[in-house]
Parts: sequence; C-alpha cells; structure tokens
Amino acid sequence: MATAILEQFINGAMMGSIYVLMALGMVLIYGVMHVLNFAHGVLFMVGGYLTHLFFFSWTGSYPLAILGSMVALAAIGIVLERLVFRALRDNLRMQIVSSLGLILIIQNGVVQIWGPHALQMRPTTVETLVKFGQLSFTLQHFVIMGVVAAAVAALYLFLTHTRLGTAMRATSQAPEAAVVVGIDPNRVYTLTFMIACALAGLGGALLGPLFIIFPQMGDAPMLKALSAIVIGGMGSVPGAIVGGLGIGIVESLSTLVIPTDYRDTITFGVLILMLLIRPWGIFGVRVRGED
Amino acid sequence: MKLPLSTIVTIVILAFGALAPFIFGGQPYILYVLTLALCYTIPAIGVNILYGYTGLVSLGHMGFAGVGAYTTALLMKDVGLPFVPSLFGGMFAAGFLGFLVGIPCLRLRSHYFIIVTLAVGMILFTLFNNLDGLTGGAEGLPGIPRPGNIEIGSFVLDFRSLTGFYVLTFIIAALIFGLQYILVRSDFGRSLSSLRQDESLAAARGVNVFGHKLAAFVLSTAIAGVGGAMKVLFLRAAAPLSFDMNESINLMMMLILGGAGYLVGPVIGAITFIALPEFLRVAAEMRLIFFGFVLLILARFAPRGICGAAEVAYRKLTNKEANVVRYT
Amino acid sequence: MRKLLLTTALAAAFMAPAAYADETVTIGIVTAQTGPLAAPGKFQMNGFNLAVDEINGNGGFQVGDTTYMLELKVYDTRCNAAEGASAMQRLATVDQVPIVLGELCSPVAAAEAPIAQDFQVPLVVTVPTASSLTEQGNPYFFRVNANSGQLNEALAAFVETIDSEPLSFIAWNNDTGRGGANGMRELLPEDFEFGYIGFFNVGEVDFANHITNIRNEDSKAIMLLMDEEPGALAIRQIRDAGLDAKLIGTLAMGSNRFLDRLNAEYLNGMVQYSSFPPNAPMERIKNFSDTYREKYGEESHGFAAQSYDGVFVAVEAMKAAGTTTDGAAIRDALAEISVDGVIGTISFDEKGQASPPVYITEWCEDGSRKIIAPEDLAADCGAG
Repeated sequence: MATAILEQFINGAMMGSIYVLMALGMVLIYGVMHVLNFAHGVLFMVGGYLTHLFFFSWTGSYPLAILGSMVALAAIGIVLERLVFRALRDNLRMQIVSSLGLILIIQNGVVQIWGPHALQMRPTTVETLVKFGQLSFTLQHFVIMGVVAAAVAALYLFLTHTRLGTAMRATSQAPEAAVVVGIDPNRVYTLTFMIACALAGLGGALLGPLFIIFPQMGDAPMLKALSAIVIGGMGSVPGAIVGGLGIGIVESLSTLVIPTDYRDTITFGVLILMLLIRPWGIFGVRVRGED
Repeated sequence: MKLPLSTIVTIVILAFGALAPFIFGGQPYILYVLTLALCYTIPAIGVNILYGYTGLVSLGHMGFAGVGAYTTALLMKDVGLPFVPSLFGGMFAAGFLGFLVGIPCLRLRSHYFIIVTLAVGMILFTLFNNLDGLTGGAEGLPGIPRPGNIEIGSFVLDFRSLTGFYVLTFIIAALIFGLQYILVRSDFGRSLSSLRQDESLAAARGVNVFGHKLAAFVLSTAIAGVGGAMKVLFLRAAAPLSFDMNESINLMMMLILGGAGYLVGPVIGAITFIALPEFLRVAAEMRLIFFGFVLLILARFAPRGICGAAEVAYRKLTNKEANVVRYT
Repeated sequence: MRKLLLTTALAAAFMAPAAYADETVTIGIVTAQTGPLAAPGKFQMNGFNLAVDEINGNGGFQVGDTTYMLELKVYDTRCNAAEGASAMQRLATVDQVPIVLGELCSPVAAAEAPIAQDFQVPLVVTVPTASSLTEQGNPYFFRVNANSGQLNEALAAFVETIDSEPLSFIAWNNDTGRGGANGMRELLPEDFEFGYIGFFNVGEVDFANHITNIRNEDSKAIMLLMDEEPGALAIRQIRDAGLDAKLIGTLAMGSNRFLDRLNAEYLNGMVQYSSFPPNAPMERIKNFSDTYREKYGEESHGFAAQSYDGVFVAVEAMKAAGTTTDGAAIRDALAEISVDGVIGTISFDEKGQASPPVYITEWCEDGSRKIIAPEDLAADCGAG
C-alpha cells in the first residue's frame, strides 16, 4: 500500500508539473493584465504540434525543436496581445468571448492543417526507462519535472531581479501607479503575453512526445490549470505552483479511493469549495470591497 | 400610436413564428430547424435574464438544461406522467438546483462566479455520463415519448408530427418570451438592470442585491430546464454530450451574437446560430473557424451583438438621440 | 428473308439490356468527419467509399431494367445528437434518399432512429454498439455490426477460458468504454473476481494512475476498452511498467497500423475482438483487404469492413425490393435479406440486429496474428 501511495504521488507530481507550467502562463496573464485567457490550452497544443514539425522537418534535435516552438509561441503571443486583447482591456466579458473565439479558430485550424489523427514523436528521453525497484518511469518524466523547476526558478529571478520583471510586478499591483513612475503598460502587457505563451508552448513541447500530440490535448490541462490558479490565488506565482502540483497529486491519490470516473469531480469539487470558503486562494491577497 | 422599434420587431418575429407552419408546411426540414432553434431560444432567454439584464456570466447553463431534460424525460418515460406535470417537474428540478447552487455562489465576484459555473456545469455533465442506471449514461437515453395528442372537437393536435411539435414548442417559447417581457418592464427588472450597471450603487439605493441575483439565477435555471426538456422531447433521445461545456459556451455565444440585454436578442441569436449553418452546409471545421472570427469581430466591434448593431444603424439612419436609460 | 432479319434485329435491339448506367441513386451517410471522433469516422468513410467505387466500377447495379450508379450524400454529425437528427431530417425530406447508412456514436443514432421511422427511410448503422438502440421497436432501424451485448458475450466466454482473475479494466468514459465495462460485469458469473476498474476521459493520455492500481491488485488480465490512439499508449505504459498481465483489447487493436504504433514485443500475446481479421483465409476477406490496401495504402479497420458491407446490404435490399425510392418497400426487403459480407453473413432479426461472428484474434511473437475464436473459424499465426 505504501508503495502504491508513493508511486501515485510521483505520478501526480509529474502530471502536476505540467499543470504548473500551464498555470504559470495563465497566472501571469491574469495577474498582470486581469485577463482570463481560456485559449491557453490550445496554445499549449500548438506548442506540441510545432515541436513535432520542427523535430521532423527542420532539426532532428529535440532541445532545438523545443526552443523553436517556444520562440514561435512567443511570437504568436505578441500578435494576439496586439490584435485581440489590447483593445479589450478592462472588458472581462469580451475578453472571454475573444478567447473562446480564438479556441475555435486555432483548434479547428490545426485540424485543417494536420488532420484529425494524433501524431507521435519519440525522442530518446521518452524511450529511456528509469526504474526504482518496482516503479518504472521514463526519463522524460524527470526531464519535465526538472525543466519546470528550472522555469519556475528562471521566472522568479526574472520577476525579482530584472527591471522588466519588476515592471511587470509593479503593473500587476497598481497599474496607474506604474504608469506614473514611467512604466509603459503596453510593453509590459506584450512581454507578459510573450512569456506566458512561451511557457504554454514549452508545456506542449514536453508533454506531447511523452504521450501523443492531438488537437484536444490542451483542453483538460487548461481546466486543471485554471483550477490551480484559482485555488492557489489568482495573481500569485507560488499559488500557481502549489495549486498545480496539488491538483496533480490529489487527482492521482484519489484514484486509490474513489471510482475513477469521478476523478474530475474531485478537482472541481475542491475548486468550488475553495471559492466558497476562501475565494482569493491560498496565497492570494484579499482585497477589501472586491468580494 | 408610435411604437418603439423593438416592439415592432417583436411583433413581426412572433407573427412569423406563429405563421411558420403555414409558410413552410411543405418543407419539413425548415420547420425542423426552426423547432430546434426554438429549443435553444428558450435557454437563451434564461441566460439573457441572467447575463443580459443582471450581468452575470454563466458558462455552465446547459448543465441545468440537462437536469430539466433528464427529469422530464424520466418522468414521462419511466414514471408515465403526462407532459405538463413532467415539464413542471423538470422546471422545478432545474430551478431548485439553481437555488442550491446560487445561495453559496452568487456572492462571489464576477471572475470567480464564472469559474464556479464552469465547474458546476462539468460536474453535472459527469453525473449525466456516469449515472448509467438513471440516465442511460454515455450510451444515451433513447425512446423518449412525445406528449399525448390533444383533441378539440374534431381537431387533433398530434405532437408526434413535426408541425404539432413545432406548435407546442412555439407556444412554450412564446410564453417564456412573454415572461421575459413582463419581467424586464417590471420594477424587479429595473432593479436587475441596476445591478448590472453598478452593484454598489444599487445596494446603496436599497436594492436587495443578493435576493435579486438569486431570483434571477433561479428563474434562468428553471427556464433553461424547460429548454432542455423541450430539446430532448424533440430529439426523442437524451445524451450527456448535449449538455456539456461546449454546449454551455455555445449558448452564451448565441446570446452575445444575437444581443444580450435585448428582448429579441436570444431569439435572433439562437436562430442565427442554429439555422444559418444548416443552410450553409460547408465543411464543419470551416464553419467553426468562421464562427471564431465572428466572435473576435463581435467582441471588438459589436459587443452588443446583432441587435446592438441594428440599433446603432437605426439610430444613425433616423438621427435619434441615444436614450440613457433604456429597457428594450 | 430480309423482313425476318430486320424484325429480329429490331427485337434484339429492344430487348438488349442497357450497356451503360441510366441513372444515379444517392444514399445518405451520417458520420463524424470532425471533432474528437474524426479518426474512427475516417475508417467508416473509407469503407463506404471503397464499396461505392467497387459497385460503380462494375458498371453499377441493376434494379428492374435500369442500371444505377451509386452516389453518397455525406453529413458530418460530429457525435452530436442535434446535428445527427438535423442531418437525418435533411436526408429524409430535402435530399430524399431511400436509405441512410452509418453513424459512429450511439446516442446520435438514438436521435436519428425516430426520424427514420417518421419519414420511412431505413437507417442501417454500421458502428454504434449500444444495445438499447435495437430495443426500441423501431422497424426502420437496422444494425450490421455486433452490438455491445454480443461483443461482451464473446469476450466473457473467452475470459472464462483463461486464467484471468482478477480482471481489471481501463476504459473510455463514454458509450464504448462504459458499455463494455458494464456489460462484462453483468455477463461474467457472480463469483468472478474483478480487479481495478479505471475510467478515463477521451483525450486523456496518462495511464500511470491506473497502472499503479492495477499492479497493486495483482491483476492477471487487463481489458482495454478504447480505440487505437490511447490504446497504443496504454499498452506501452503497461509493458514499460513491467506488468505482464494478459491484455484484452478492442477492434482497432488487431491491425498492423496498431502494430506500427508499437512493436511485436509489446503486443505479443495480446488478444482482441475483431469484426474481421484482415488476413483470414477467406476469399471475400482477402479481396477486401487487398483492395483496401491498394486504395488507402494501409491495412483495413473493422469499421471500414462493417461499413463496406452496409453499402452492399443497401444495394441488395433495393434490388430485392425492386425500387430505389420506396423506403417502406426497402425496409421490408431489409427485414428478409441475407447478404454474404466481409464480416460474415448479414441477416437481421426481428429487432433489426444482425449477428456477425465476433472473432477473437491473438498477437503472435512475430507480429502476425492468429484467430482463436469462434472455434470453427480458427486459424494459425499469419492468418489473423
């Protein structure tokens, strides 16, 4: 029984790292721009497809393909921020409408270009198995956990030790004050979107080869990531990490005790409970007059 | 007597709807599509009351429609109740669930409320899908009966026929539309609008914010329940996928397309969303991509939908001044 | 003499059958071409197209004195009940087809069936498995493929012959997966030991949780109720985790395309049900497999075979009924018909259900398959 719990814990942590990656992107966008971007899931998926494309038709190197897809997604992020979200600042409902429109366009566009069948990609990290006694994982599992840890660290350093990062934090805390001290909000918002989309692309690039690459691959993770940032606190990066890992692990452990067809219900149930008891999340800051 | 444009439009649409069986008598397919559109118009009116007038976004409303649908279907099919009690049963079940969900959740801020509705919708979908013994589960619930015939003298209204069922759906949709009309023009409706515009100010003016929100939510879920029931009675089969997240999102999009906050917004939105693709049967993906672009354009340039754009155009054409406070 | 010759010539000219097709018959098709189930939908469509090509290639088919070519009017229902019903309505009243074939998803078929009855256009499904579909007393509904009850019976019979307890499941949380899991639980004896029953949503790909739990139940056999894409992942993950339980799979897992996703080592010993084994030593199956491979460049899929047969059933019914427009007559013909299809002899019982044989095939070491059930059709490695 103990090994079962340990194994499920590790399984959960692995899947949780993917949720963290997606949640980081979403929490950045929400924290800095107050935009609820549902399209994050399809951007994650595009990351997977582009990695496949770059790997097979451009460079045979997996790391380069990952880098390529991150750069491409960052570019897409810039375009989206400029063309779609810039004009809709402060208009929550229309932002949601736009992000839903983007999902339709991107998801169905991918199917038009690549077809409905799933794609497979098996770099060496996926083929290499790592065993601990009875438990068996692929090297990719650990790569994912490692890369996510590195990304979190890099993000932290960026936000706290660089001017741009500090500007982002300033804008998220007090947008008008930030303008007063000379920060250009447009630059900050574009940068935020870029980083968030690059993170989404990274997630897709890591997860895609481990399993398969298909048009709906980002849908469920996006909902989990959304739950993660709500539970963790909608403007909080540590919240996203705790939330993402937490959901992954809880989901995984829950399969030991409840019928698995209700696994999603657990996540959403926790989400609803959190919203009812402490809507600003574990690490969020309660703002008076706003709840 | 000079009627406002909105009233004229409403009368025209109602007349068209009432005469449709005669106009399209020889074209069952068109009547079919119109009936389906009406089945979506009903929950769209529910969402209009919630979003268009009260300002609350719900991305899980088809879940409540599903509750109404399965309740009505099971009452008619397994319990053998006639149509009217079953429909009321579905309506009450959906409304009651709305009440239970609304009480804890309506005090949440808009962002959080949206996410809660999403989560509630997904949980409801899981229940429809997993409770195979009750709902038929993922395989669907076939064999849902149509309401029994009504005989008035020598005139028989057969609801198994397309025309008969269209008439039934139209009457119910018209009643719900009427309900919306009365609601919007009542004091209750005005209070709802004040909530949408500025909650704190409304509270300061003595509006019972929570009470109004709850009433609006319960009403909207009950209406959604009626819509769901009509839909499964029409299709004669129920399936969980008819009430999943995609369907809920489509419902909101329909309303926004037609024009939230306008009486005829849900009608126009539902008919456009359902009927237009049927008549332009291009490849499904292109349809969806096209609709995605429509949404982007809407969000940016016409957030008040078709009705909003029409109103702006009408205003420009007739050089009318904008009314600050309007209840169309 | 000349008069005789002339008369004979004229008579011969009047009595000669048309050497070319006079007309076209359009039959309706409903399937999923887009959405999450587009991949299996493609196989269904391939089967239809292959059949149409073959029939038209042979000059069409003859009803009475007229030869007809076949055309398909295809509607994408995307596994959505409302779309399916609209499509059926359109086929029946606007396109006015005599018969409709196909559908992929059970609940959508459930919405299409009543319309078939209302407008007297027979609906012959080729893939949906929900047993409830043929329990509605709808005389216009027919099913060519085995339903989940029949599939489960074959599987249950097989499961009882091997050392399979405890038996675990990993299943899609939809009509295919749940139908299979529930059916097996009903059919196997009361005292049969079940292990872990794991459901996952269409689109989920990480089976780590399920595999851990299965291992901890010491399962001897694992039933995988899903299609090939998640199936390949599940098997890979199961074998990588070191579990050597007996694997029991579905239709799609008995094909070379599936082998390509994995390799013979992973699959060795795995068993799956099949509606037709592509290499079976039967003339009609060989012909179908070869033609399919020629046209599509890959091995055929059970759905394609079922759909291919569906077209021939439709055509034979029209011939037997002597009409290409009278739906009611075609329905009566369908009720009586018997057609030798690729998947077996197709003839419908009073509920409209056919009873094609349910094959069980097993993967061999060398990457080929053998047929282990039904016994009278058993064949060795290489013939599955």
